[in-house]
Amino acid sequence: MAWFIGIDVGSVTTKGVIAKDGVLQCHHLIPSGFNYGAAAKKLLQELLTSADVSMEDIAGIVTTGCGASNVDFASRKVSDIVCCARGIQAISPLVQTIISVGGQASQAIRMGDSGRLADFAVSERCAAGSARFLQVMANVLRIDIEEIGPLSLNSTNPVTFSTGCAVFGETEAITRIAEGFSKEDILAGVHQSLSNKIASLVAQVGLEEKCALCGGGGLDAGLRRSLEAKLGLQLLVPPHPQLVTALGAAVVAEEKHTTRGEATS
Amino acid sequence: MYFAGVDIGSTMTKVVIVDEDGSIRSRIVGPTGAEHRRLANKVMEEALQQADLSFKRIEYVVATGYGRFNVPFADREITELTCHAGGIASLFPRVGTAIDIGGQDAKGLKIHDGKLVDFVMNDKCAAGTGRFLEVIADTFGIKFEDLGEMSLRSTREIGISSTCTVFAQQEVVSRLSEGILIEDILAGVNDSIAERTINMVRRLRIETDVVFTGGVALNPGVVKAIEKKLGYEVFVPEQPLLTGALGAALLGREYVLKRLAGNEPIVRKERQLAETTFFAQQ
Repeated sequence: MAWFIGIDVGSVTTKGVIAKDGVLQCHHLIPSGFNYGAAAKKLLQELLTSADVSMEDIAGIVTTGCGASNVDFASRKVSDIVCCARGIQAISPLVQTIISVGGQASQAIRMGDSGRLADFAVSERCAAGSARFLQVMANVLRIDIEEIGPLSLNSTNPVTFSTGCAVFGETEAITRIAEGFSKEDILAGVHQSLSNKIASLVAQVGLEEKCALCGGGGLDAGLRRSLEAKLGLQLLVPPHPQLVTALGAAVVAEEKHTTRGEATS
Repeated sequence: MYFAGVDIGSTMTKVVIVDEDGSIRSRIVGPTGAEHRRLANKVMEEALQQADLSFKRIEYVVATGYGRFNVPFADREITELTCHAGGIASLFPRVGTAIDIGGQDAKGLKIHDGKLVDFVMNDKCAAGTGRFLEVIADTFGIKFEDLGEMSLRSTREIGISSTCTVFAQQEVVSRLSEGILIEDILAGVNDSIAERTINMVRRLRIETDVVFTGGVALNPGVVKAIEKKLGYEVFVPEQPLLTGALGAALLGREYVLKRLAGNEPIVRKERQLAETTFFAQQ
């Protein structure tokens, strides 16, 4: 019996999954807070308790994400691009292009033949290219980030943002509020602006017909609709889009364990 | 004869009045007013008061800057790049390159014989503009005007790895929580602005003399950081915010004097010293 754990320490949320013989057993999410190492440790305990196993039963732990190096109990650290690709493959092996929208970075990945990673592009230098832009706007409009998607879907007249910068966008949103634009229309405009940035990221790696959206951004129905309109196709969104990279980390943990096992036997 | 230039920027409105010889008679810097440039006419009134002139005695008014459109008290609009180049060249005739960092943009101007020949600009991203400094000042709860002096006290400058203002804000907060001194963080912030600006202006091939203007030029920490990157001294006008308005006034003067010399009519608008708004008047 072999259990594997994948932990994805993101800028906002730390996600963990525990898998047994390649099957997902349970998952947990906690806020990353200011201490990534402590968040990961807490998450590990919760996973072990939920699955009712002890550390001796765990054959491998892989960490990934921007806080991965703060985790001291993992067997190895793997890039989030690789984990995201592995995670999507485990869910749907036919996906050719992956878009992952996270708390402070977005990624576009193109898969090649036989599950190899063909190309990727990352937007991490600009807040307006990630879900961070949504968080900034949620603060301005005094709403929770979960409310953004449903509100945006009700927009009838999206605001066109003249800027691609989160700081200038914030000022522009305040001006639009003063002019009487609704939250719905402002948020739909934010989604369009973010979609434009993501679409140019996707263009760098190449858009294929089977395209998946994951990361926390996959939970935002407004972003999904706006991206689908921009890219001109329907996106595949897995049931727990924010867990894909953590799942991929567990898959990598199992792969490494198996190959190492073969090598020594 | 008197000529006025009014430069309506994103945060400040600047007015300069010159006389027939081109000498400065009055210069005022005041807030643009968050409420759609409502205060621009007040700044003009103050400048008139300083010069002890009535509005009627102003021969010609040129508006420039981001808010130059539909100014009811101007005869003409001229782009801020042309006005800046004119104003800077009148103060520093040997200028080759000008760097202007304002409240929400940063520009590089290549000037030959007092005329603008090329430019580069960033108005797309808050990083590298005055806005970046504003966000940092707000984060630390210190006054924008105090940033420069404070940063000069730094003895161990730290690097800021984020380019984006939003991410940099988060980064400086965590540096502060690690116990790093505000002045050392501010020195790092200044270096980040200088790096971004110089990288942009390099596209013009920087030629001396280099003149640094705009509100951010009032920050001695940023001036120092830019000089460090360039390896030589830059010139900062006594009033670095006023070069656009000065250029506007001088261009108005040039136009009127040329027209008078050629016995040609001067094209004016019906001016009203009234509020100006972003929206077309109804």
